[in-house]
Amino acid sequence: MIEGDGFEPKIVAFLCRWCSYAGADLAGTSRLKYPPNIVPIRVPCSGGVDPAWVLRAFERGADGVLIGGCHPGDCHYISGNYKARRRTVLLKKLLPQVGIEPERLRLEWISATEGQRFARVVTEFVEELKALGPIEASGDALRVTRDGESPAPRGG
Amino acid sequence: MYREKDMEPKSSPDLARHPPDVTYHDSTSRVTRHASRPRIAVYWTGSCGGCDVSFLEVGEAVVEILSHVEIAFWPALVDVKRSDLEALPPGYIDFSLINGVIRTEENYEMAKLLRAKSRYIVAYGACAHLGGVPSLANNWGKEEIFAVVFGPGFRPGSPVGEDNEAQLPDLIRVAVPLEEVVRVDYAVPGCPPPAPLIDRFFGALLSGEMPEPPYVFANVKALCEECPRERHDDRRIERIHRPHEIVPDPKECLLEQGLICLGPVTCGGCDALCPDAGMPCTGCLGPTPEAGDPGAAMLSALASLVRFEDEGEQYFAKEDEALEALADPLGTFYMYSFGKYRRVR
Repeated sequence: MIEGDGFEPKIVAFLCRWCSYAGADLAGTSRLKYPPNIVPIRVPCSGGVDPAWVLRAFERGADGVLIGGCHPGDCHYISGNYKARRRTVLLKKLLPQVGIEPERLRLEWISATEGQRFARVVTEFVEELKALGPIEASGDALRVTRDGESPAPRGG
Repeated sequence: MYREKDMEPKSSPDLARHPPDVTYHDSTSRVTRHASRPRIAVYWTGSCGGCDVSFLEVGEAVVEILSHVEIAFWPALVDVKRSDLEALPPGYIDFSLINGVIRTEENYEMAKLLRAKSRYIVAYGACAHLGGVPSLANNWGKEEIFAVVFGPGFRPGSPVGEDNEAQLPDLIRVAVPLEEVVRVDYAVPGCPPPAPLIDRFFGALLSGEMPEPPYVFANVKALCEECPRERHDDRRIERIHRPHEIVPDPKECLLEQGLICLGPVTCGGCDALCPDAGMPCTGCLGPTPEAGDPGAAMLSALASLVRFEDEGEQYFAKEDEALEALADPLGTFYMYSFGKYRRVR
């Protein structure tokens, strides 16, 4: 397993077309530097990001998922970003149950004028994911006995 | 919905498109017979046994049903061995009803064997259909499962007995629904399948009017459509409850009362047995075609429902607190469908 320096995380980013995608665009046209680990996907609204897409992204090799939406109060569809936020809360509860650290999913409010912020968020996220390393394949990882304790038999 | 690419054994007869009510010529055994008395097999793989018992759900009708079929293989009911099944010509059995998840090498071999001997394969029950409860174990590796269940030192696939005379079948890497290992023609979903669906399946089978496979014997519309409880237009939940925490109102929608009911994303067909009795639906009939991934769909639905009189930054903390009450998202959203819809990597 690749750790540390050699590991380049893959990030799938669902960016709302009104704010975050425009913010990413601005980062580009402003010639701001940020790591190339990100695959941006333009969506009509952060509230339209199906939780199934997030889970599938992780299952098919993403090391992190970024959802970018408008700041509270700014949603083009009034409340899509609030829905995205509640979904993210639930997903962050579900992810550890399937062996994925909740920090690998990130929801950020990035407006169309915040190219700087977009670049900073991506840079930070890549750093964080590099520290976390790749998602540990569950296989025969023996999570129960990792700390040297042998698990107690259960049931009759 | 089933993967057609999968593994039709080469030796099986090319009879899959014949309607079951016609007189047909069995290419292998060289006998012509009428399929009005179809040959059936019932077999359990990784199963609790509840599916075998579930046939009694239909009451006395089971006598009528069994008098119209020929049992070719049903270890729970008649004395047959694997060697008897192996001796049958390919395509001999008309319908093989397999219940249980594919968990061990033996399950896998038996599924392949039954596929070769049968014209149609029926995934019977939630485990065969979606992976069921046993597939929740896919979160852990097999070493880990053995360590927790049997204690340290027990090796899967290791010889057992005083003279090491037997060898237990090893676990395959993950528990998978039947459709992952053989082509599946029909599914009778449920945990176990409820009486109305058993009726519907045998009704079609015995009348010779089986629908074109692949086909799932459940309603395409969501369970809510047949639920007798009353729904309202402006739905929201301020507090999530677990079933043992409250006594729900007998008339009102359970979801609106804060119980996580999977009705909106689950196929109907059971006459809303559980919600009618005051228990929220746990999704055993599987997701509607519209819902797709049941867990993600229900997670979405819940995220839309949990809100207060208005939305906005000032409600974030309250919303978080309300959502925090959901005790076990995985077990709630994917109780029966983890094996089919979620892959660990």
